[in-house]
Amino acid sequence: MGTSPIIFEQLLQENTSKIYRICRVYAADPIEPQDLFQEVIFQIWKSLPNFKGKSSIDTWVYRIALNVCLRAKIKLDKSNQKTARFDAIHFTPVTEAVDPFEEEKFAYLKECIATLNESDTSLIVLYLDELSYKEIAEITGLTENNIAVKMKRIRKKLFECITPKMN
Amino acid sequence: MLEQELKKIWKNSSKTAQISIETDALVQEFRTKMTHIQKKIKNRDRREIAAAIIGILIFSFLAYEIPFPITKASCFLSILWFLYVIYKFTKSNQQNTPEKLSVPLTAQLTHKKQLLQQQVKLLNSAAYWYAGSSFITNFIFIYGLKNPADYNWANQLAEKLLPLTTTTKIFTLIGLFFMYAFIAWANKRAVKKELQPILKYIAVIQQQLHSSN
Repeated sequence: MGTSPIIFEQLLQENTSKIYRICRVYAADPIEPQDLFQEVIFQIWKSLPNFKGKSSIDTWVYRIALNVCLRAKIKLDKSNQKTARFDAIHFTPVTEAVDPFEEEKFAYLKECIATLNESDTSLIVLYLDELSYKEIAEITGLTENNIAVKMKRIRKKLFECITPKMN
Repeated sequence: MLEQELKKIWKNSSKTAQISIETDALVQEFRTKMTHIQKKIKNRDRREIAAAIIGILIFSFLAYEIPFPITKASCFLSILWFLYVIYKFTKSNQQNTPEKLSVPLTAQLTHKKQLLQQQVKLLNSAAYWYAGSSFITNFIFIYGLKNPADYNWANQLAEKLLPLTTTTKIFTLIGLFFMYAFIAWANKRAVKKELQPILKYIAVIQQQLHSSN
């Protein structure tokens, strides 16, 4: 594998949080966020030698994260059911720094995202990560216009679901 | 206001875990995993080809040893069939291109759908190219077996193993028929229970993605 360790390390440093956020939404029993996270990282490492720079590296990382998570969700990857954990990735739960109310709100958000269909879920996670419609279009392969129309409807649905819970 | 709050909740959601990665050690683990995967694929391919080669050797020996003309002809047919199996496996392995996970979501779904459709086609057609043709060659082989004494052929082991009487021929053919019918049924079931639901799911997601709202 011709992946430069320095580029890979930099890539991990810059993208760990956003990958983990996506994995938290897509993880469903028996697959935990950690399982999805390590699979995404593995696929990034595997695909990095073929990165041609046609899109930005951020877009490229989002594509892999979404594709891997969706693949796990629709059980396309039998080997991904429950894989052995890599020893070199350490997950330490940060309990003291986490505001319990914040976690509760995230649980509501996750619940409401779960009511959306697969297509809408992939769009909303990118939208919440503050990506522009142009970037979302590059990641999903849809047109910006289509995304704008869809986002209007998805936001409305999400707000309707979460507003009563937040109050 | 709510929108900004949701984005803040979303962004903070990754703070629940401190993730530290030892890059050098991780790359080493990835390399080990890759080697393991490649070895597994290579071994599977080798096993499939080896089984077919063993089949070719056995039927070549039988064609040489057995004097009955029809059975001899069926041995040559079996050899051709094994060569076809090798071709089919090699072609199928070539078509199984690696997943393209760095392409846009819509392209990835289309690619996965194509791979699954190829698998469906292969498994559905197995009833004909695998089970059907095997049964026909086996049938000809058994039908062609005659009385060894008529051909001045003496091979005790072969006489013990081959169904030479009408009764044993009938029972062997019935057994073979059920075995190949089971193989065909198992393939069809795998398509119905495993592949078709995933294909349907992909079609639903594609439809959701391409709908105008």
